[in-house]
Amino acid sequence: MARDGLSGATAICGLGMTELGRVYGRSAADFAAEAVLAACADAGLAKDELDGLLINAGISQGVDLSLAPLLGLRELSLLTQMNAYGSSAGQMVQYAALAVHHGLARHVACVFADAPLVEGQRTGAAYGGARARRPGMGSIVPALGFAGPIPFYAMYAQRHMDVYGTTQDQLGAIALAARAWAAKNPRAQMRDPLTLAQYHASPWVVEPFHVLDCCLVSNGAICVIVTSGERARALAKPPVYLRGVGQAHQLEWHDDRPSLAQRSSATAFAMAGCAAADIAQCQIYDCYTFTVLTTLEDYGFCKRGEGGPFAASGALAPGGALPINTGGGMLSAYYMWGMTPISEAVLQARGEAGERQLPRGGLVAVSGNGGIFNHHATLVVSSEPS
Amino acid sequence: MAADATPYFDAAARGVLALQRCEACGAFAFPVRARCARCGSTRLGWRDAAGTGRVFAHGRARRATLPEHEGRLPITLLLVDLDEGVRIPARLAAGERDGIAAGDRVRVGFESAADGTALPVFSRA
Repeated sequence: MARDGLSGATAICGLGMTELGRVYGRSAADFAAEAVLAACADAGLAKDELDGLLINAGISQGVDLSLAPLLGLRELSLLTQMNAYGSSAGQMVQYAALAVHHGLARHVACVFADAPLVEGQRTGAAYGGARARRPGMGSIVPALGFAGPIPFYAMYAQRHMDVYGTTQDQLGAIALAARAWAAKNPRAQMRDPLTLAQYHASPWVVEPFHVLDCCLVSNGAICVIVTSGERARALAKPPVYLRGVGQAHQLEWHDDRPSLAQRSSATAFAMAGCAAADIAQCQIYDCYTFTVLTTLEDYGFCKRGEGGPFAASGALAPGGALPINTGGGMLSAYYMWGMTPISEAVLQARGEAGERQLPRGGLVAVSGNGGIFNHHATLVVSSEPS
Repeated sequence: MAADATPYFDAAARGVLALQRCEACGAFAFPVRARCARCGSTRLGWRDAAGTGRVFAHGRARRATLPEHEGRLPITLLLVDLDEGVRIPARLAAGERDGIAAGDRVRVGFESAADGTALPVFSRA
């Protein structure tokens, strides 16, 4: 029995994914248009049945409101561009669900698209903007040696090691689990088996992060369409019901606790009427190995400080007690910001995950994390409405 | 009006870390800002900080992200919680032995960036 009017009332009815990864020569807007049309085809909807379009442009900022005329969408009741970085996708789905639930729209497409990779350029160049010189006090942080988000996440990981005794092997276990899952996903960019020795041999970026602690960068787009549960049941694919949603934001320093992930998941789990123990699998925003570790703690799958041993126990990998990032996540599959975990959750809930398919029917927790622990979104989804 | 960071740089030239302080509520701020985050006041003055604090987090940068970092690697990056209640990004002073840990007491100093910008660096207190 749904504990909240929204819980189970709306569903994801369509999923569209373009080719993802090192796909060159196409604009983000073009990827976005393809993903929206693919999601419509997947759902069994004509594109003109879309009356809502929510857009999240990635780092390359290559798609905006002009996507609507590009797609020839003339009957929109909702249209906006949103950005809270990695939590945006989960937020778009939440706003879409609210709008649908209250009758403001019927079919809302939520699309993320990005094309930061340029042929012949290093992957790191795509996110190197923070290295530019800035005037006055703004020049201090880059001049110290900080560039982009990696140093900050790395330092928070090191603090976890200092305070709780988390080890490099335990971070490595998360990278290995992602790769083991990716081996079963034809869409994954990195499918070769990964050993702990290879992980340790991976070059340092900012200790304790090796290159293999950091996510990929990908070109492409992913779109999901949100509609009512009732309409979803009449469409082409099995509905993926939204059972719980939550968000939390703060733009100040990430402090130990209470974390955004804790607040966001508490909201979503309360709406779904569930506890962490009721979650069958997780699709976690894994911009870094450490993000997985701390999200597992914050969501309540293990105690604070025990994320390392929990990860190293094998629980997260194929055959483990709490499968996570079953498509290989951002570490090994593809980096579409918050749409990476959402897309895999949809495939799993529908039974379309092929070789990596887990039992359907259970609750899937999905996280999105934006900025440097500045934004968080949680979804709880399931093939069942209640 | 854009917040003016001149007092920070003037103080750094004396070897002192200056922080903005809200005249209305007393909260300290770093980096420079136009409005107090705690109470919203625009009456922000400057005070010399004690220059001491505790390491909140640290990490060792192993790749140069600016040409001036070539030859200086690794750089131990720090987030320091100053005694005034402000967290600042910084780094371990050149020549300071490695092995700093979260919670260690540290004291501020300054090093110059390639363009002369005064950078806050910390040594064990």
